[in-house]
Amino acid sequence: MVGNDIVDLEEANRTSNWERPRYLEKLFTSKELQFIRDCENPFLMVWRLWSMKEAAYKLYTQQNPSRFYNPKGFECDISNLNGIVKFKDFECNVKTQITSRYIISEARFIDSEMTSKIIELKGKLRKSHSDILKEALLIQLSKLHQLSKENFKFQKSEFGIPTVLCNSVKTNVSISHHGCFGAYAI
Amino acid sequence: MTNDELITKLKAIIAPYVQDEKAFENLTEDTDFINDLKVNSANLVDIILDIEDEFSIRLENEDMEKMLDVKAAMLIINTKLEA
Repeated sequence: MVGNDIVDLEEANRTSNWERPRYLEKLFTSKELQFIRDCENPFLMVWRLWSMKEAAYKLYTQQNPSRFYNPKGFECDISNLNGIVKFKDFECNVKTQITSRYIISEARFIDSEMTSKIIELKGKLRKSHSDILKEALLIQLSKLHQLSKENFKFQKSEFGIPTVLCNSVKTNVSISHHGCFGAYAI
Repeated sequence: MTNDELITKLKAIIAPYVQDEKAFENLTEDTDFINDLKVNSANLVDIILDIEDEFSIRLENEDMEKMLDVKAAMLIINTKLEA
């Protein structure tokens, strides 16, 4: 099982104002606020923690099918580019990559390498972004299993949780898009 | 405040964050902020802060947890205003 989340830094800068009064307190715990205060680049730390929380939430809902908005409930602990996110009695490992243009986080129960594939969606119609991602995901799965793409069907549950169905076997997947970047993980 | 007045106020708050204008034009109580209006989940907190400012209320984490559609937002606002 996997949960991932990508943040387009240019988009985040343009569409969110993290310095808005009460904004950080709504999303982050006191421990996380300390990380943001103590670091050299608070903007990057805010979006790094945010992507970790989102990735962990997606993993949590794969395991516990549900839908809710509680970013503050998912508390991040970080060292270097590794992290642990806890929510109630749920705990997962989160790997993060930070580039000059995006931040990607990937949450798993085991400590493993980041596998998310990143796709640049610049110039593509916003409406088609999720279709481009799904298509790339199905192509990767078909290569992995050496079966033609038509055998794989992308689906979302009533809670919006994505899986891919192939010969009545369900595979947990995660997709994310923000601004002009998309990512998928199997 | 009637439901219509509340929806009108809510629409004004949500408008800047909407990425699906067609769904916004057809907004009803069942409209989902993320699935229908394609509001970015990072902007959901902006909607929550704007609601707090507009109605002079404060929303706790438990209130935010359910804040996924217009109906839930209306219920939470009404509950806070009556408290």
